Amino acid sequence: MGASLNEIKTKIASTKKTSQITGAMQMVSAAKLQKAESHAKAFQTYAEKVRKITTDLVSSDNEPAKNPMMIKREVKKTGYLVITSDRGLVGSYNSNILKSVISNIRKRHTNESEYTILALGGTGADFFKARNVKVSYVLRGLSDQPTFEEVRAIVTEAVEEYQAEEFDELYVCYNHHVNSLVSEARMEKMLPISFDEKGDEKASLVTFELEPDRETILNQLLPQYAESMIYGSIVDAKTAEHAAGMTAMRTATDNAHSVINDLTIQYNRARQASITQEITEIVAGASAL
Amino acid sequence: MSENVMTLQVITPAGVVYDHHANYITARTTNGEIGILPNMISTITGLEIDELKVSRPDDETHVDYIAVNGGIIEIKDSLVTIVADSAERNRDIDVSRAERAKIRAEKALEVAKAEKKSDEIKRVEVALHRALNRLNVSSHN
Repeated sequence: MGASLNEIKTKIASTKKTSQITGAMQMVSAAKLQKAESHAKAFQTYAEKVRKITTDLVSSDNEPAKNPMMIKREVKKTGYLVITSDRGLVGSYNSNILKSVISNIRKRHTNESEYTILALGGTGADFFKARNVKVSYVLRGLSDQPTFEEVRAIVTEAVEEYQAEEFDELYVCYNHHVNSLVSEARMEKMLPISFDEKGDEKASLVTFELEPDRETILNQLLPQYAESMIYGSIVDAKTAEHAAGMTAMRTATDNAHSVINDLTIQYNRARQASITQEITEIVAGASAL
Repeated sequence: MSENVMTLQVITPAGVVYDHHANYITARTTNGEIGILPNMISTITGLEIDELKVSRPDDETHVDYIAVNGGIIEIKDSLVTIVADSAERNRDIDVSRAERAKIRAEKALEVAKAEKKSDEIKRVEVALHRALNRLNVSSHN
């Protein structure tokens, strides 16, 4: 019974206030998560359509791809687009993704000149800067429901750097949202664009009338395709961020409640002890008379 | 459903903007204006920043206008799909926002021209074109 009654009382009050704040933050995150989920759903239809048109266009072509965005170059330098959050209080969300990126980079590269990093979100940018890793592009302050316009800057930057042969392949590293409790770190190859992995999709037998010609359309469509894929991962990552925030805040609130319970028991015991002591003193005083 | 009807879907990253039957569509592609009728040959082509005119089978006199910011149009089995960065129906356009975008683009264009940055000029011109297109489409109300 080290602490005095008053000390325990203030502790209980302050923990209660903290739990109210974390409780409110949990609800805010929950609301944002719901919004982000519906946003991701709307985007899914777009991504599917772009993919379908691109496969329609590419599959009817028997010649090897000539477009620079589809040609596999010899890999001299790899770009990593790392998506993290801007603020903390999201549990293990950031450390998960950064850990997986670092271990992957260590496995694949021996030399620092073999890779470059594009950071989306302040936590990731600061993390790499603190470790003296070269970050070629930073985008901070993304809103909670990023619009296509907002992320266009970093997406276009990535696509342009690829086209300028700054790097020869691009991976996007982000947390994939599975459900509100689970997310998994993912590393996806975005560029060069390949359709090999979707071998189960039947090549359409319809021949298309192409105007003006295939190359021109591909030049317009492929950047749009790449942009939509990258934007898709950003939306996915944001959804995971809100889910992580919600879970972290729920855990914090639960912890606060258990701390308050313990403290209340401690407080009652201390009070009981002081009462007992008082009675003993009175009884002892009375019997001494 | 009668034979001479096609479906038009306009899809953007923000979701499906337009999903209706249509019996005639006019669009401006990179190669010039085209009219699309049901059962047309399968086509894929790029679109300009311009308006899309759609006449629907349920009302002969009514025409829907949609502002499209570029994108790709695919026509296949009487299903017309347009994927674009952004697109708005005339009734959904926020006129005051479009006005502001136009003024902003005009100012930026002057600055860019004064500084003679050709990339910047091109980009601002596209932005201005988009704003003008939105205003133009919204005037069809």
